[in-house]
Amino acid sequence: MGKGLKLTKKDLKELEKEIASNRKQRMEFIDMYAEWLKKTPNKVWSRQQNKLLNK
Amino acid sequence: MEFEFRHGKIKFNRELSNLDKLTIRFTKVLKRQKIDYVIISGYIAILFGRSRNTEDVDLFIEKIDKKRFFSFWKELGEEGFECVNTSNPDDAYDSYINDELALRFAVKGTIIPNFELKFSKTKYNIYSLKHKVEVSINNEIINTSELEMQIAFKLKLGSEKDFEDARHLYKVFKEHLNIGLLTSHMAELKVEKRAEKILWGKG
Repeated sequence: MGKGLKLTKKDLKELEKEIASNRKQRMEFIDMYAEWLKKTPNKVWSRQQNKLLNK
Repeated sequence: MEFEFRHGKIKFNRELSNLDKLTIRFTKVLKRQKIDYVIISGYIAILFGRSRNTEDVDLFIEKIDKKRFFSFWKELGEEGFECVNTSNPDDAYDSYINDELALRFAVKGTIIPNFELKFSKTKYNIYSLKHKVEVSINNEIINTSELEMQIAFKLKLGSEKDFEDARHLYKVFKEHLNIGLLTSHMAELKVEKRAEKILWGKG
């Protein structure tokens, strides 16, 4: 068994920064995806979505 | 995305997913039983293209008495659904749905995806049911929550997934939303600060 994770204040700050950056990137993806969705025919986007939903 | 957004109704056609087909099958039972319902939460974002899956579809239904509930239970069984919480309809009514606990129904022999049902009781539930939106998908009708309320409520729920659903719905429908109504819901739910960051900001 390992000793477990030990984080300093600096490590935690770095982690929080990474989480915030990931969140921002997720939101940017949501925007990009919504824009793509709006200009894409229903048949095309729904077929792609179904590849995920019907797995 | 091609859709008609008119008089509080949304009409569109697209390739149906297995979840869409199941939702249509489930809500048809509600319709035949003349039980008023509204779908809320994550499925709405998925219905309108969000790139994620879900394990459940949440619904509020009008409060019904035990006799009507038994009839609904029977038809759900005939349609191939069973209750995940209990196999006893008396228990389902008394210990769950009439006691403010959700009941889950899934296709017999499965547990996900499932339909999570609650009676509409709070002001928010009752509003959602009263102001539901009729969505026609490939000429099949399902009732969903008003989009403005759905976006505001997703901000209230507050998980990363909820924030992303709210932003997705806002970005897809922003030209069609009643922004006055949306901001009024956000004020009532006290989520204006979240909206500044999640909807209007960069996240």
